[in-house]
Amino acid sequence: MLAIPDTLPIDLAPLSSDLSMPYTLTPGHAVGTFLAEITRRRIVGARFTKSGTVVVPAVDACPLTGESDYELVRAPETGTLGSFTETSAGLIGLVRIDGADVECAHRIVDARYEDLHTGMRVSVVWADAPAEGILAIAGFRPDPDAAHGVISTLEDPAAPLEVVPYRMELHYEHAFGPYYGRLFDEIRTNRRIMGVRMPDGEGALLPPREFEDVSYRRTGTWVSVGATGKVRAMSVINLEFVGQKHPPPYIYAEIVLDGALTRLIHNIRIADMSRAKEFVMPGSRVRAVWNDSRTGSMNDISHFELIDDPSAPGAA
Amino acid sequence: MTHSRVAVVASAQTELRPAWSGAQHIDLISAVVSNVFKGTGLGLADVDFVFDSGSDVLDGRSISNCGFLGAMGAHHKEESRIEEDGLWAALYGATKIAAGAASVGLIIAYSKPSESDINKFYSSQCEPFLQRPVGFDHRAASGMQAQRYLADHGRTASELASLVARRWRDAAARGRVAVGTCPSAQDVLAAPNAARPLTSLMMSRPTDGAVAVLLASEEIALRSQRAPAWITGLGTSMDSHAFHSRKPGALEACEAAARRALSRAGLAPRSASIAEVSGSSAVGELLVLEALGLADAGKALDAADAGTAINLSGGALPADPVMATGLVRLSEAFRQLTYPRLYGLASPTSAIVHGAGGVGMQSHCVMTLEV
Amino acid sequence: MQRDVAITGLGQTRHSRRRTDVSQAGLAREAALKALDDAGLTIDDIDSVVVASGPELFGAVNQPEKWLVDALGARLKPVVRITSGGGTGLAGALAAYYQIAGGFAERVLVVAYDKLSEGALQYSISTLYDPFWGRDFAVGIMGFSAAYWRARMDILGHTEEAAAMVAVKNRRNAMSNPYAHVKKEVTVEEVLASKPLAWPLKALDVPPISDGAAAVVMCSARAAAGSPAPPAWIHGMGYYCEADNAAERSLLVSEPLALAARRIYRSCGITNPRRQFDVVEVQEPYTCFELNYYESLGLCAPGEAASLIASGATQPDGDIPVNPSGGCLGANPIGAAGLIRMIEVAAQVTGRSEGIQIPGARLGLAQSGGGWANLRGLAVIGA
Repeated sequence: MLAIPDTLPIDLAPLSSDLSMPYTLTPGHAVGTFLAEITRRRIVGARFTKSGTVVVPAVDACPLTGESDYELVRAPETGTLGSFTETSAGLIGLVRIDGADVECAHRIVDARYEDLHTGMRVSVVWADAPAEGILAIAGFRPDPDAAHGVISTLEDPAAPLEVVPYRMELHYEHAFGPYYGRLFDEIRTNRRIMGVRMPDGEGALLPPREFEDVSYRRTGTWVSVGATGKVRAMSVINLEFVGQKHPPPYIYAEIVLDGALTRLIHNIRIADMSRAKEFVMPGSRVRAVWNDSRTGSMNDISHFELIDDPSAPGAA
Repeated sequence: MTHSRVAVVASAQTELRPAWSGAQHIDLISAVVSNVFKGTGLGLADVDFVFDSGSDVLDGRSISNCGFLGAMGAHHKEESRIEEDGLWAALYGATKIAAGAASVGLIIAYSKPSESDINKFYSSQCEPFLQRPVGFDHRAASGMQAQRYLADHGRTASELASLVARRWRDAAARGRVAVGTCPSAQDVLAAPNAARPLTSLMMSRPTDGAVAVLLASEEIALRSQRAPAWITGLGTSMDSHAFHSRKPGALEACEAAARRALSRAGLAPRSASIAEVSGSSAVGELLVLEALGLADAGKALDAADAGTAINLSGGALPADPVMATGLVRLSEAFRQLTYPRLYGLASPTSAIVHGAGGVGMQSHCVMTLEV
Repeated sequence: MQRDVAITGLGQTRHSRRRTDVSQAGLAREAALKALDDAGLTIDDIDSVVVASGPELFGAVNQPEKWLVDALGARLKPVVRITSGGGTGLAGALAAYYQIAGGFAERVLVVAYDKLSEGALQYSISTLYDPFWGRDFAVGIMGFSAAYWRARMDILGHTEEAAAMVAVKNRRNAMSNPYAHVKKEVTVEEVLASKPLAWPLKALDVPPISDGAAAVVMCSARAAAGSPAPPAWIHGMGYYCEADNAAERSLLVSEPLALAARRIYRSCGITNPRRQFDVVEVQEPYTCFELNYYESLGLCAPGEAASLIASGATQPDGDIPVNPSGGCLGANPIGAAGLIRMIEVAAQVTGRSEGIQIPGARLGLAQSGGGWANLRGLAVIGA
């Protein structure tokens, strides 16, 4: 079903990509108060005004009724276990804290899966060491004699936590596929940039692909394109931002190599970067400058240089 | 406002594999897009719009659709990304054609879960302050659904294992699924723990794959050479995000979606010839069958195929291409209605198609087809 | 002109640089309640909900519509999320439009939001780039947008001065918009002297980072009959795309936008947009785009955008006011921005603008878009 280009199979290990993204999340009033109070070993719930539904931990909107008028209340440290399971994270269960109308998910500690049953009494185990957020509760342990607690007034609630730092770490192993596979193998091995001919033979698509985007006709044979080309668009980058791969200043460039009809994205270096906008413009002729050692990526080209760089010392 | 009838006129699907390590997303997408028109008399030029289902988090790219538009055949057409299971994209497409605004729509769904960690895909859906830190995720949700189901109805893990083994055999025989060796029920029971009582093989197996479905208005559908499968009912519903506050032992949102779709279609569930349903775990699938009305509560394990032929493709347990699963179910149901003899069916007339999304199957989409 | 689908409720939060009192879900809820209130309805009257928010990496919650359902009180209703980069808000409204026109629902709530203060925005946007092909050089879409503006400078005369005039106009207009949070007028000189971030884009060419939400209630003609506020009718709407790296993609005119304009104008009987539209709201992720939109929407010929802004015609008292709300330069919660444009137009044509009201406005145009400028759409909205 997949068209295989006229080449031998290529064994290129997938491209690893890591996204490590920092956040400052706002929990809102109810959850924010819960998070502020839990470090003081007080469990905060919400009693929704119209229906009287009590939800622990406190949330801003009732999951059952959708109401958002509530008063914050203090919840006891005992409850009853509902469903439970064991994953690589340990024992996880749904606990109905005494006085609450819905359950909450948390860890079950000091127990084995075999000892658990729905309906058993449990009580809070506070974390010994300082812990973040809801993990100030280490979990719930089986406690057969746990007396039934009651919901009570929350005296002097702490101000809600406004910002919770968070980080999302996502790792990817991106397959090369038949087209990128050959493209980057040729780049790495032969310092050659290859695209595929358009269906009518006029010009090449880079990166190579199976179907031409506009007409959706199958592309033709492989063809080398030059390592020289023309700037289609450029910008001088000064902005710094978290997660940036290439430190500024640099010249962002969309370049159409000779023989290609589509653009690649790279950076241009000139001798005097402070005059970038003077000397680099759409239409400028550029040439790829290769790295000596290559790994099979666009970084095997270190940068593009102007074929005639007026900013270089000794330039005309 | 009169509404046009809408039909499924064709579908195409890549094989569903644990890893399409020799292909990129666009390779899978263009494989199905270039294939779906063949034999219909229609071509990409006839397509008025392209709707696609995919996930930024699975793809590792923000706005991932905007880098795949060429492969989707969407250039200079109307396009929209629906970031739900592909059956929702089909639903949107059906409303656009029903409104008379278009006559041919291309619906595409794809995923390559092999490129990242499926657990992160699900855990990142969980609420960040109260749920994620304690380790609650889709495995925990599925495990708790299963623990409850077995306890409430006196069923056993062995019975779940037999169901899974059967679905894999069906997938190997009839689905477009890469199956090396089919696990036996013993293999399923002996697999590593995922979320007790569920072993890893009792959770749906993430696979890479892409699927395309062609929808058409009544006028165009009747011109195509295939027997169109009319979309007679549509329904969707989303339950509370708080898994712990959902009604235990049931899938209320699946019930609501089914009620809406089946009443529109005037179809009683057990009189449907075919059902293709999704399920993120073995118990998830059972709960879906019960919520759809195909079995009584606690009895889905006993639902023999006397009436409705259920998951002849094997369903989602052997092959779950995440964002594409529900659209694969639509594709499979369409094929079963269109080529009944390939599936050992006599003369099926109707199908219930189901897709789901979210941790513990929070949201559901039900569609009915009739030939 | 079609009168099948109406907008009967409008709601926006007061957008801000940062809201530390509500979560993303709470922010979305605020706008939803305002729109419902405006329509004289509660969530119980709603058949279906469409959530539109920017890429998930913005807010660290995958498939956030699943999180929002509780906050919206929409449990067990149909809920779907549409996402399309910057065009999300309009794309979401478009899905709602078809749910109604296609007979799936009578009343749909569309909620669009983004809480951009919470994440590393340029980092998240930069991941739209192919990891194999160019991501290392990405500066969100700022670098790309600046680069192609530079190309349009030579051929179409979209000078830095002309773009600066857009900044001056929109920031002045934003002063009157109670929902905008950037409240500082600037001069052309100040814009030109502001720090180049991705030259030719400079700091004052760039919208703010915002936390904000917007919502509308859309409904069928029958359901609109009982609405307390005058309905705004959707005469036509569409959303088109362009392959990001097709041969000869020049980005001189925005082809997907021009295509959308051609098709939708035709279906609405628009032959002279400059004369026929009383007001236009465009989503300008950077000032240079507004110039591009003047041409792509047919408000002037290619190459004449600089003259158009210089003539004053797109000022509130001109013959084709563009962005009387201040556009994105006043507030830019990206996922909501497209819906905010529709809300502003709907308010204008029903005489309900809370900022600058264009006198006698009856027919308006809202534009939105995202990605690498390759997802583009518009809506024609009238009284």
